[in-house]
Amino acid sequence: MIRFALSRGLAALLMLWIVGTVVFAVLFIVPGDPAELLLSSDGEVASQESIDNLRHKMGLDRPIAAQYLDFLTGAIQFDFGSSLIDKVPVGETISLRLPRTLELILAGLALGLITGIPAGTLAGLRPGKSFDQVVSAANAILISVPGFVTGTLFIYIFAQWLRWLPAGGYVSFSADPLLHLKLLALPAITVGLHLFSIIFRMTRASVLEMRTHDWVRTAVAKGLQRKLVVRRHVLRNALGPIVTVVGLQMGILLGSTVLIEFVYNWPGLSGYLVTAVQQRDYPSVQAVILVVSALFILINFMVEMIYSALDPRIRLS
Amino acid sequence: MKRHKTFQLSKRGDIKMPDLSQNKLNVSRRSVLTGIGAGMTALALPGQTWAADGKTLRYGLSTFPPGLSPWNNTGNSSNNVKLCLYRGLMGYDPEANLVAEVAESYEWPDPKTVIFKLRDNAVFHNGEPVTAEDVIFTFDSIVAEESSAYLKSSFLNIEKIEALDAKTVKFSLKLPSAIFLKELSNYCAGLVWKGSAPDNPIGCGPFVKTADERGVFIEVTKFDDFYSPDQPICDKIRFTAYADQNLRYAALETGDVDVIEYLPWPQFDAVEQSETLKIGATVSPFMLMLFNVAKEGPFKDPKVRQAVGYAIQRQDVVDGAFAGRGTPLVGMPNPPGSPYDVSDPSIEYTFDPEKAKAMLAEAGYPNGFSCRLLATSTYGMHQDTASIVQAYLQMIGINTTLDLPDWATRVKKGKEGDYDIAVHGLSGYYNDPNALWPLLHSGPANYTRSFGFESARIDELLEKGRATMDEAERGAIYKELAKAYFEEVPQVPINWRAQAHAMQKPVKGFKAFPGWLNSSSAYSFDVSEPS
Amino acid sequence: MTFARLPIPRRMILPSLLLLLLVSAMFAAPLLTSADPIQIAISKRMAGPSWGHPFGQDEFGRDRMARVLYGGQVSLTVAFLASFIALAIGTFIGLIGAYFRGPFEFIAMRVSDVVLFFPPILLALLVVTIFGPGATTLVAVLALLYFPSFSRIAYAETLRVSALDFVEASRALGTRPRRIVLSTILPNILGAISVQFSLTAAATITVESGLSFLGLGVVPPAPSWGQMIRGARGFMDQDPLGIFVPCAALCLTIYSINFFCDRLRDVLDPKGMEDGKDAVSSASKTTSQIVELAPDNVAELSNLTLVYDQDKSGTQVELVRDLTLTIQRNKCTALVGESGSGKSLTSLALMALLPSAIRPANGHIAIERKSGATVDLTSLDTKTAEAVRGNDIAMIFQEPMTSLNPVLRVGAQMMETLQAHMELSSDDARDRCIAALERVGIPEAARRFDSYPHELSGGMRQRMMIAMALLCEPKVLIADEPTTALDVTIQAEIINLLRDLRADQAAGLSMLFISHNLGIVADIADSVAVMYSGEIVEQGPAEQVLFDPHHPYTAALLESMPSLHNELHSSRGDRLGAIAGTPPLRHSRPSGCSFRDRCPKAQDLCAEFHPALYSSEDGIRAARCLLAPEATAATAATEMLKEAM
Repeated sequence: MIRFALSRGLAALLMLWIVGTVVFAVLFIVPGDPAELLLSSDGEVASQESIDNLRHKMGLDRPIAAQYLDFLTGAIQFDFGSSLIDKVPVGETISLRLPRTLELILAGLALGLITGIPAGTLAGLRPGKSFDQVVSAANAILISVPGFVTGTLFIYIFAQWLRWLPAGGYVSFSADPLLHLKLLALPAITVGLHLFSIIFRMTRASVLEMRTHDWVRTAVAKGLQRKLVVRRHVLRNALGPIVTVVGLQMGILLGSTVLIEFVYNWPGLSGYLVTAVQQRDYPSVQAVILVVSALFILINFMVEMIYSALDPRIRLS
Repeated sequence: MKRHKTFQLSKRGDIKMPDLSQNKLNVSRRSVLTGIGAGMTALALPGQTWAADGKTLRYGLSTFPPGLSPWNNTGNSSNNVKLCLYRGLMGYDPEANLVAEVAESYEWPDPKTVIFKLRDNAVFHNGEPVTAEDVIFTFDSIVAEESSAYLKSSFLNIEKIEALDAKTVKFSLKLPSAIFLKELSNYCAGLVWKGSAPDNPIGCGPFVKTADERGVFIEVTKFDDFYSPDQPICDKIRFTAYADQNLRYAALETGDVDVIEYLPWPQFDAVEQSETLKIGATVSPFMLMLFNVAKEGPFKDPKVRQAVGYAIQRQDVVDGAFAGRGTPLVGMPNPPGSPYDVSDPSIEYTFDPEKAKAMLAEAGYPNGFSCRLLATSTYGMHQDTASIVQAYLQMIGINTTLDLPDWATRVKKGKEGDYDIAVHGLSGYYNDPNALWPLLHSGPANYTRSFGFESARIDELLEKGRATMDEAERGAIYKELAKAYFEEVPQVPINWRAQAHAMQKPVKGFKAFPGWLNSSSAYSFDVSEPS
Repeated sequence: MTFARLPIPRRMILPSLLLLLLVSAMFAAPLLTSADPIQIAISKRMAGPSWGHPFGQDEFGRDRMARVLYGGQVSLTVAFLASFIALAIGTFIGLIGAYFRGPFEFIAMRVSDVVLFFPPILLALLVVTIFGPGATTLVAVLALLYFPSFSRIAYAETLRVSALDFVEASRALGTRPRRIVLSTILPNILGAISVQFSLTAAATITVESGLSFLGLGVVPPAPSWGQMIRGARGFMDQDPLGIFVPCAALCLTIYSINFFCDRLRDVLDPKGMEDGKDAVSSASKTTSQIVELAPDNVAELSNLTLVYDQDKSGTQVELVRDLTLTIQRNKCTALVGESGSGKSLTSLALMALLPSAIRPANGHIAIERKSGATVDLTSLDTKTAEAVRGNDIAMIFQEPMTSLNPVLRVGAQMMETLQAHMELSSDDARDRCIAALERVGIPEAARRFDSYPHELSGGMRQRMMIAMALLCEPKVLIADEPTTALDVTIQAEIINLLRDLRADQAAGLSMLFISHNLGIVADIADSVAVMYSGEIVEQGPAEQVLFDPHHPYTAALLESMPSLHNELHSSRGDRLGAIAGTPPLRHSRPSGCSFRDRCPKAQDLCAEFHPALYSSEDGIRAARCLLAPEATAATAATEMLKEAM
């Protein structure tokens, strides 16, 4: 077990180094100058001299090798430097924003699991029946209407029309718990709908396969109640693939809730990432990607652990 | 002499469709609400969100300010907040008239000298009085070698600054300047206490920053020792960033905020018809086309550039890209509210494709040509304008391929001349033709000017206009400039676009400043109150 | 031309047609509308539907129908092109990585991983920023985004296929790797990859709309659905049609693609759709009929006919016909026959475990419960059925390897049986289970209790199954080929165990033993019933039937046994070695006697009469053959015979 963790850790470090280097190289190629951008917001004109002075202050006029070395030595010490834009240490911003994105994803995930697994199970147990057909068709709508459209629609319905919820934004839980939850509701539902469609499909397929296994018949023959059979001998076995897919989705969502964050003004990590790319805020982009990659690796690792816990036949090696 | 142009803000009458659907929506919404009953609306009244305790003005920003350093220009969202924290020698009263701000009074002993008398009661947020030394510190810092201040080049015109006594300061200019006071009123000319640490500049504005969460909100609280008696009126201003314009409007409509900037054009109708909201609109920035004239090719020839100017049906851009909110711009972009009238039909563009084709033929391109049209996908209005321009250029035989990179790449391409035609939006910060200086005067390559364009004639007129103090004389110079603008074709103007703040009806005092002063509207925070 | 000859399964026709219709509508856009998708008409902006513009006009006055059709061309071309490139690159990487292993594997899989670590939107943002937006960049971005999923699938599938015998064989024969990969492995992993392809194609269409919304997609004025949504979103409340039309198009396309690939998966891998094996959704009844049992019997199946409703038109297939069978108290009754003779179905009916598609059309199944009451299993409500199964009647299945749930400890699986039927504390239940394990001869029972099934050998697992079946001391035990899947030596142990257990159980245990192996049957059974094609063809006491078969089929079965008395040397094959042919299909049984096609003694009149099950005079034996002694004894049969002659 220790050897397993150790070898995994080493592989993870190697991957992070590759990812970091790729990001560094890509950012070097990407056109655009953070100094000029910062000084020319809203179509204003900045003098070349001002831009050069700011570039110097940002440390962008140093040789690329020196910048790379700095980045590496900093990253090893978990110091990603400060944002080029507002000089706030990037680590600080990430520790502020990452929990918000995680909260959004986890809330969405909870909704997706609560609805997706029962619906998928029901559909999988009775494929081709009306429930299966209705939900499968509704699912196609969910997948095909983009999050930014449902988002806008939800805001229109729940905020502007019914006035049940504020239109969007963020307050911290400690500042106002109720308002925090109200603001979380719509974006979490939007993420939840996305996850629902994936979890539903996966559960349905998995249940469809599992229900035909011999041990299910054994369980029925034992006189187990139907719901017990479904829970312990169908769903329990179907969980493996579902966990895998959910884990992968969570990793992907970490950096891709941007459209939802944008539409609802949820100040999370992926919105920060996109803004950082637009502003060419190199340290922020590098740090966010490294953090997201590290989390991705961690989630993959956890999925493996959960998988092996769910299925005793799988040994970690 | 002084004649304001009237700018048509209303939509053209012939477009009925949006109005109808708007009405329909309202009707159905009302009936549904009545049908469901009043209980539903009582469930959660968003008016309660971000409790408006005391007098907090809630302001919806279009982006979170990327920086609040007093002298760098980091965009209008930043400038709104900066005007709360910092004030300069000159400023604007709530009615947008240029007035002495931290200075109590000023006098011009000669055209190259101006003496400011500072207010006795002006103090910085740390309690230190504002002195002549602080003024000198501020301007020295702005023009310092390593400075990246927005107004550095403007203030390089200052020969020297002397403290006559603790509260009196004398500026000596290298050249006379008709717009020096306007430059001093800019949001990037705030006074900073001389003892400030570099990363914590202390100002003397009406508010103090008391809370912020990066990317979410900034809250400023009334500075009790502000020099204007009984101002500011509200206790706090809470700036919340809403990057998505649809959400920004939704937040206003639901009552989450009191005022928003950059009301999306499609929502103008809704606000104008609303019983709870009002609009403060002006025409401010303008859309234009820039050319790469350094490259061998058709656009080296001013005739070709002019032909492009005749090819565009400008009202269509206003309607298509700005939902009818704006006016065609047919000549030099003389700022709205400018003291001089430079209009003259003989130097204005009309929509005349035949003439455009004839001019192309004359320039040696009877069959047109193909080229690249640069805009950006980051801003929908640039992309939309470019799409319509593309359609009209097609009609005179100029086939364009759109190039729509993100904003950062767009800036770089503009600066490096990596384009043939570019669609762009520009503005100045005060209502005087000299505000066009950075857009027209030659200098190092810049994405706001046609690449490689230089005109001694235009440069000379701009310089003369700035150094001339006599109003009538200046008027004549700018009439001449308008002519040069038409003939040399540094840009092809397209249209003025409307820019609006929208706010709850009960909001008092806040004023959307006219024309290019619009970006200084934050001066009216001094007298704003939420209800 | 060759379309008719293409093997298109029936289930694929509808989804294929739908998809084809959609695609051809888009590519036939010039025929459907004369409007130019990029022709602006600002004065008509957001005009409602009209004859010239059925879907209205957009915010630039462009014809929305033309835009949605031409936009579909762009969106679909981009999606399919990107998916295809992703497929090619991903499959290549996965194949190389999995087939050559070593450093290839490491590099191939890490390359995919690095791509996965980049958030998709960021990847798109960076690529588009470097190369500028446009359809080509979009294809590149989407291909980049999706090739890892192909490489992962190709990798996993290749690993699976490489281990298969024929690949090992060709490798051993020295076939060149490229040939093996191209001609042996590739065709075998194509199924999984093609499903992934359709999934990816659907996903890319949605992602395209998201990227276009961010301004990273197709460059205007070229129409694309994402562009249309982006443009219309700002006017959503004023012109809802603007956002509805592209969203509906998107939705319809995704639905058809999903529909298509769901069906494709079903066709390529039909396992999931086999309703026949589905035990969970067995149909429930509501009425309970009272039936009587003869005092000597614990279970009676009388005149049972099981039918399978093939389709909605009402065509029925009779799987079991007019079957009457009794299980005598404390005796072992054997049910013998080839695969597909209906013996397993009969046993499932006896467990009230019939799959939902199969129902008893006629007859009753009566069993005596432990309480002494009698119930009819053909008309049990769900609750009673659950109470009967595992408690009053239990069953051991053929495959001990798959009959236990692999992810639960065997102890837990035993405990749940007990707890389903008795109020017991966990400790008591545990003690009882361990005692049961000891009874079936499992050493270190307490330790095995906490094992997972895969940690046990086949024989051990079957012992577990037996222990589990007997936990609640049922009156009737059904053993469905309990030894078929086991080694010969283990078979004997299990049979002996069953025999001993039957003797041990205090309340008595009646058994229905199902097998095709007459050797084992001779060893354990008191009476025998032989089934052929859904019917009992002969029954009677074991020693009589096995030593003096009256039905030619029984005789053939016996002949096919190499050494009946040499203990239990059975061939595991489930075929009749001595007689040619296979049992008839259920819906095409021959007229008259079902066995006549294969019967060595068949005569002309066998084709004319479907023989009844003729009983002997003493009622001990019965046979379903016109030539059997019982038949000649029956006068009615003789009459009929005469008439026929």
